[in-house]
Amino acid sequence: MRYLVGRIVWALVILLGTTWITFAIVFVVPGDPARVVAGPRADAATLAGIRRELGLDRSLSTQYGRYLWRLAHGDLGRSYANRQPVARTLAHRLPATAALAGAGLAIAIAIGLAGGLATAPFAGRLVDRAALVGSLAILSAPVFWLGMLALYWLGFRWRLVPLGGAASLRHLLLPALVLGIGTGVYYARLLHTNLQEVLTADYIRAARARGVGPVRLLAVHALRNAALPLLTIIGLDFAALLNGVVLTETVFHWPGLGRLAFDAVLALDVPVIMGTVLLSAELVVATNLAVDLVYRIVDPRIRLG
Amino acid sequence: MKGRLDRRAVTPLLGLVVLASCFGDPPLAWPPRAPGSQRGGVLFLAAPDDVPTLDPALGYDSRSWMYEQHLFETLVTYDDESRLVPQLAAGWSISDDGRSYRFTLQAGVTFSDGTRLTAADAVGSLERVLDPKTRSQGAEYYRGIRGAADYAAGRSEHVTGLAAPDATTLTVALDEADPLFLHKMALLFAAVVPADYARRLGDDFTDHPIGSGPFVLREWRRGERLVLARNPRYRRNDRPFLDGIVEQSGVDSELAWLQFLSGEIDVAGIPSADFPSIRRAAAAERPGRLISGVALVTNYLGFNCAMPPFDDRRVRQALNYAVDKDDVIALLSGRGVVATSFVPPGMPGYTSATRGYPYDPERARALLREAGLGAGFATELWTQSSDLDLKIGQKVQHDLAAVGVTMTMKQLAWSSFLEAIRQPRRVPLFDLAWSADFPDPSNFLDVLFQSGRSDANNHTFYANPTFDRLLARARPLTDPAARNRAYAKAERLLVDDAPVLLLYHPITYVMLQRRVHGYALHPLLPARFTDVWLDPEPARDQGTGAGS
Amino acid sequence: MSERRTRSGLLRIGLVMGALLVVAAFAGPMLAPYDPTAPVAARLAEPSPPGPPFWLGTDDLGRDVLSRLLWGARVSLLVGLVAMAVTMVIGTVIGLAAGYCGGAVDAVLMRGTDVMLAFPGLLLAVALVAVLRPSVWTIFVVIGLVSWTGVARVVRGETLSLRERDFVLAARAMGANHARIVVSHVLPNVAPTLVVIAALSTSGTILLDAGLSFLGIGVPPPTPTWGRMIQEASAYYRVAPWLMAFPGLAVLYAVLAFNLIAYGLAERGRPGR
Repeated sequence: MRYLVGRIVWALVILLGTTWITFAIVFVVPGDPARVVAGPRADAATLAGIRRELGLDRSLSTQYGRYLWRLAHGDLGRSYANRQPVARTLAHRLPATAALAGAGLAIAIAIGLAGGLATAPFAGRLVDRAALVGSLAILSAPVFWLGMLALYWLGFRWRLVPLGGAASLRHLLLPALVLGIGTGVYYARLLHTNLQEVLTADYIRAARARGVGPVRLLAVHALRNAALPLLTIIGLDFAALLNGVVLTETVFHWPGLGRLAFDAVLALDVPVIMGTVLLSAELVVATNLAVDLVYRIVDPRIRLG
Repeated sequence: MKGRLDRRAVTPLLGLVVLASCFGDPPLAWPPRAPGSQRGGVLFLAAPDDVPTLDPALGYDSRSWMYEQHLFETLVTYDDESRLVPQLAAGWSISDDGRSYRFTLQAGVTFSDGTRLTAADAVGSLERVLDPKTRSQGAEYYRGIRGAADYAAGRSEHVTGLAAPDATTLTVALDEADPLFLHKMALLFAAVVPADYARRLGDDFTDHPIGSGPFVLREWRRGERLVLARNPRYRRNDRPFLDGIVEQSGVDSELAWLQFLSGEIDVAGIPSADFPSIRRAAAAERPGRLISGVALVTNYLGFNCAMPPFDDRRVRQALNYAVDKDDVIALLSGRGVVATSFVPPGMPGYTSATRGYPYDPERARALLREAGLGAGFATELWTQSSDLDLKIGQKVQHDLAAVGVTMTMKQLAWSSFLEAIRQPRRVPLFDLAWSADFPDPSNFLDVLFQSGRSDANNHTFYANPTFDRLLARARPLTDPAARNRAYAKAERLLVDDAPVLLLYHPITYVMLQRRVHGYALHPLLPARFTDVWLDPEPARDQGTGAGS
Repeated sequence: MSERRTRSGLLRIGLVMGALLVVAAFAGPMLAPYDPTAPVAARLAEPSPPGPPFWLGTDDLGRDVLSRLLWGARVSLLVGLVAMAVTMVIGTVIGLAAGYCGGAVDAVLMRGTDVMLAFPGLLLAVALVAVLRPSVWTIFVVIGLVSWTGVARVVRGETLSLRERDFVLAARAMGANHARIVVSHVLPNVAPTLVVIAALSTSGTILLDAGLSFLGIGVPPPTPTWGRMIQEASAYYRVAPWLMAFPGLAVLYAVLAFNLIAYGLAERGRPGR
């Protein structure tokens, strides 16, 4: 319990740290957020009025203090660009990104399990080496390029999937596959390696001696222990997955948070930048926390301090 | 054991299905179309991004204006030839000194919620734009109204120059005569909204707009779709023809084109990749009807005339000669005309008397030698990160290298870019386009090149007393012919002084389904749908929204 | 036996591929048939397909794709290696400091690392580029700043275990100062791991650089970069798919080379540990 409280306190500190770094960076960007509101043609008087209205003429620490104060009251502010409440925009965009990231992760785990189990019996043999080189090649391809290739072949030439938009489950397939495939082959290799180590363990030998079939041995007895370390990796990888989300959403014009954040950074829309960074940091921290807890439940031997 | 593995795989999939069910737009119901009638039907459109806003006090971009102009009305507007015509006003009169305007509103106009539109709403709408709390980009257009400054500073409750003596009369008193004031009243900033209601909603007015235009907002799900429906209370019985307009958002131009080809949408721009073949094709072979229009826009590179070496006119002229503008047009697949003057063709005050700067690298080199820069020099083009800007920038880069000028490129996001070019001695060369707010040459020449306006839009820091004098002489003229002549004179001097590298005036091309009629590109305003009608074809699936 | 051979095979293939990449980077400008920035095709705005005299076709600005690819190798490799070096230096210093000093220093540095890890790195890079303005130097620094966390964690872990080892304890007992212990005892023992991470992080930085270029915030034109070539080709993906295919393959090749080197090295090092 004390451990849990400690973790949560740290999580809050981390979130605070991200808000501070983001605020500081945005503050030194050589641009004027008031211009975002005022538009290209406004004169100096209009601009000064808007700066005053938004409190942009105050010092960095005052602005940051105000932001935190409002944040503590659950107010993320309104976008400078379209004046929508940031919370509403985030809530609106979150499902699309959650679906994409969730489906990407599911595909990654599926590929990881299938690939890891399928190659485990062939360790060191040619098939395995070919699989390794193939995995490395997939890992080496830029995710946006894979996306464009997939669009060209699967979407345009073979007409198997829609070419864009986010209207149905079918639309989700391609971006999720592109997002998940790299992580998937990576998991497959990790699982493969872990399985090799586990398969030499005593209890596996014992099970084999008891006459447990090879499939059951692999899929049940070995997998349970080999997959455990993967769990931590998945938590850590979540941030990397969010990076992929920005690129995937750009290629597929997916109306999610990644694209929202990217556009906000380019437009200096400070409240939206803060909101998206905070939300994604929160997701990363929460995932790590969750993985940690699950780990402790699954494997009671671990008692981290 | 196999079953257990399967179940694990199934759980995330189930989650997916649940998540995915958040997608997909519920179908919209539209009234059935009477066979053979010009009236009825729905126009389907698609766009990559959301409309920024539907609040006329806030929108200052063609996307917002496209829809605002269908939800709201102004007292005056433009006809298809960009002449001022009455819209909500039945008529107006201007005093001899040009300082007081008296508008008579049409009687019996109501907002879409049924409340009556009165002159008091017109007053309130303008006051709302002037109120600093609204943070309107259009406020500066109305600062010439008497008492506007006091009102904006909070020193008075109302703008003294605005009055509504009765429900259909609006009087406006100006501090000084302004030949452009009627144009300003035609901007959507001056649209008449139910003033008290709009103030009460504040920033949320954009989500629940109420106006007197031909359409009303039926649904706006950001990132998904915007739906307008016919306004049953519209003051004209014979318009609009359409029952509604559906714009699906999140559709990039590439996807929009494919949707157009499959008949899902009615209007689409043509991707650059496809444009050359579309243009070569015979009209009957094309996938739809191709329409085009020259926009009142000038694309140019601005020189910072206060920074060496661009403080030397010869250097500016040399660079103008050095760029092959025909190649630039070729890069655009012909979607532009070479600019020979700053004021675009089709704009009052446009003069064909200037030749501009034809491609002549020899002459460019000679001018550079004359300026003592025969060995060339290095400069930096500041540009925004749009694909087209970068493409043309790379073309210019190559042409300038041929005359010994090394040009590097610095890309910035739009907001940072705007901030940078306002700094007096920071940006030597920048890439910008200017589009007309209203059809008057002052909107190009005074706004961008008058000296002492560097706090606003004179980013070239061009300062020529002779030019300023010519502007001062032209500005108060009200007789159109004399006014245009005077501005043309100023323009000739400007082109000769070359504070900008003139590139091109873009031509917009749009493809329409053959069932669409009455759709025209306007030089000044976004396309208007009030007169658009569809072939009476009952075959179209009318029960669903855009997309699949 | 055969297993050992294939293992070293990975490394060997990787090294050969890497060597070819280095050759392309150095000799590319000489090998390139055309000026990579000059419009050499007959028509603008209409990319021409691969075939003589433009073996990989031309782009919409009429430039020769092959020449641009060869010139791009130089930029990609340079960015990959320099940004990797920046990443490694930051990561190693922080990792060593945290692992060796332990205690409060460790706690502060590692919580800082956690904060960085919670950031979406790509967005941080975008924001930093906006602050610093795009240039080759900016890209070096930005990539280094967003990707050092992984290195720091691994180095810290290794250092933590080395700290309690006999030779370190002995050196400390003999009165050697901390800087000396770190440089001459800890660092050499971390080095084999560092080499593997360096190879891995080179492939990571090349990918990240391509990603930044694709988003339009990489090394600015006229420098041809593979990422920007892919981005510029994206408008033509239906009409001229080869335009995006070639630069994508080039990125894949370069990244794969370093990935193979990293895996090869890691596998070779495994039995010894």
